[in-house]
Amino acid sequence: MSFTPNRRRPLAPAAALAAAAALLLAGCSGGIAGGDEGGDGDASGPIKLGMLAPFSGSESAFGDYMKNGAQMAVDEINEDGGVDGRELELVVEDDACDATASVAAANKLVAAGVEASVGGYCSGATLPVLPIFDEAGVPMVIPAANSNALVEAGLDTVFLINGTGTQQAQATLEYALKVGATRVAVLNDNTDYSKDLADSFVEQAEEEGTIEIVLDQSVTPGEKDYSANVKNVIGSTPDFVVWTGYYQEGALITRQLIDAGYAGPILVGDGSVDKKFAEIAGAGYTENVVGTFTQTPDMLKGAEEWIASYEEAFGEAPGPYSTQSYDAVRVVAEAMKNAGSTETDAVVEGLRGLDGFPVFSGPLTFTDEGTLSSGGFAIVSISEDGTFVLKDDLQD
Amino acid sequence: MGFFTDDLFQLVWNGLFVGSFYALVALGYSMVYGIIKLLNFAHGDIYMLGAFIAFVLLGSTIGLIGEASLPVLLLVLLITMILTGGIGMFVERVAYRPLRGSPRLAVLITAVGVSFALEYGIRQIFGPSPEVFPFRLSGGSFDVLGGRVSVTQIVLMVIAALLMWVLQLYVMRSREGRAMRAIALDPQASLLMGVNVNRVISRTFFIGSALAGAAGVMAGAYYGSIDFLMGFTIGLKAFTAAVIGGIGNLYGAMLGGLVLGLLESFGTFVLGGEWRDVFTFACLILFLSIRPTGILGARVAERM
Repeated sequence: MSFTPNRRRPLAPAAALAAAAALLLAGCSGGIAGGDEGGDGDASGPIKLGMLAPFSGSESAFGDYMKNGAQMAVDEINEDGGVDGRELELVVEDDACDATASVAAANKLVAAGVEASVGGYCSGATLPVLPIFDEAGVPMVIPAANSNALVEAGLDTVFLINGTGTQQAQATLEYALKVGATRVAVLNDNTDYSKDLADSFVEQAEEEGTIEIVLDQSVTPGEKDYSANVKNVIGSTPDFVVWTGYYQEGALITRQLIDAGYAGPILVGDGSVDKKFAEIAGAGYTENVVGTFTQTPDMLKGAEEWIASYEEAFGEAPGPYSTQSYDAVRVVAEAMKNAGSTETDAVVEGLRGLDGFPVFSGPLTFTDEGTLSSGGFAIVSISEDGTFVLKDDLQD
Repeated sequence: MGFFTDDLFQLVWNGLFVGSFYALVALGYSMVYGIIKLLNFAHGDIYMLGAFIAFVLLGSTIGLIGEASLPVLLLVLLITMILTGGIGMFVERVAYRPLRGSPRLAVLITAVGVSFALEYGIRQIFGPSPEVFPFRLSGGSFDVLGGRVSVTQIVLMVIAALLMWVLQLYVMRSREGRAMRAIALDPQASLLMGVNVNRVISRTFFIGSALAGAAGVMAGAYYGSIDFLMGFTIGLKAFTAAVIGGIGNLYGAMLGGLVLGLLESFGTFVLGGEWRDVFTFACLILFLSIRPTGILGARVAERM
């Protein structure tokens, strides 16, 4: 089982253990709240939507972005008369990006009688709550967490509206083909997240057949000198390099690659999309660096108005996953409207039945696995001031 | 994969460059072990401290004069060496000296404790994310025998070589050096001969830590990013280098560092990045099972 955190920092082994333990616990104590709350909410009160997000701990910055995005959608839908005449109500709990805390928080939400879940940021904290919601009959539309493990859980109540590792690899391949790459060298840092992404890319590239993978190797994370690995890359004479690990090593490898004479494009995964990347790589080393990243509001076409009303409502700019959380609420509401009910099976049917529903990442249709059938990732490049900006949204 | 022909020089050069960092750090390990038979596991973190001290010093210098250059870096290097040397002495005084008569295991565990204290102390001050070094050595590069050599690498290797040369002069030619070698041979007899054992041990810690600090500054200036765990890996590698060369032996530490660098460089080239450490440490195990004293650790009488 791989816990691939959907964030910049690798999931600590301890957290993975805790998540595994929590999974077991959740398995033993499933439905602690006992109620089959999702199915028979009284049809007059508000429809409660639950959201687990991190408001404490290392990832706490993202909690508010998610909560505000979701709240904005709730307010808009309620102004338009709600869903079948019932208002929506957002119930937020802190999962602290921690498996143990998230299991407790999920049980609280189930006890509060939520009809659907629109949260989930850290994959390691989201995975253990899937069976809890599933058994309570709460369909989940997950805005941020995107580990393949969430898909592999095989629950038909789980839907992901952020791209998965497979889709990120797809975007990588799409861009490589777009710029005419023929010989690609792939480096990963041996963590689950990074290896999954690399393997997925290599698999898809081989299937596609145009590109030759001239090198597929791991580096040891946490070091400073990667000249030996760089030597191998140069020796394989690539015209495109893919790095799937985090920014700390990615920036050093980029610098050392260019020092060693490589002049082609370098594409990095979302673990490397961080302002520090440009600082560590240094001035003059990032012209040819691009990254795959989920679109943030400032990258999206036609989002100006949305950003303005968000700022007006919450007094700060939206951030990563604000748009996805906003969309998660809209997607659930649309499915409930179409189903004409908040019954679990009906809502799941409604979600499966969505066909080209317009969301920020493009028209949304779910695959049989509950993932996006297209897109989710865009190509970003590094601007003058070291921040990543949209280069290509891969929408054509 | 062409075998070595076009790549030989580049592989050797990369190995020697990384190896000179290993050698600088390995010296401190080896000297301390030679004198008081202690594996100072906090030694790698002194390297990390060196990088952070230089980071702060350079930051404030650039704040004052606006521009850093090689002379400024050399001055910072010198100050950092003195400071890390002082920290090394302090650690010995506070954590190791009270345990001088204790079982060796107690001192070893203390060393591990010191290592964690330094790492997470720095983490509290600077945070867990890597810091970007405010000044980087950059220069041109040129091709030699089909390999790429940069001016910066040459400058850093010259500095490392100079430091090592001064050290061996000191140990082999000076009175204090002779005292060091005497204590390594027999601390009891040295005490009876009127050698101030405590002072010599203090000095050994100072020198070893100063060299590690220097390596830390050089790493910061060359690679550009520093973090609170950067000493962990290189500490292990330097320890390995010291063992390969023959622990307690001055020349052995230098040689061991270069050998380890070369092993890594060739291992990566032949087997790929994933296998590098497997290859390197398999060589170490094989070598030590044949020759437990390391390359130069042959005759005890010549130690240090």
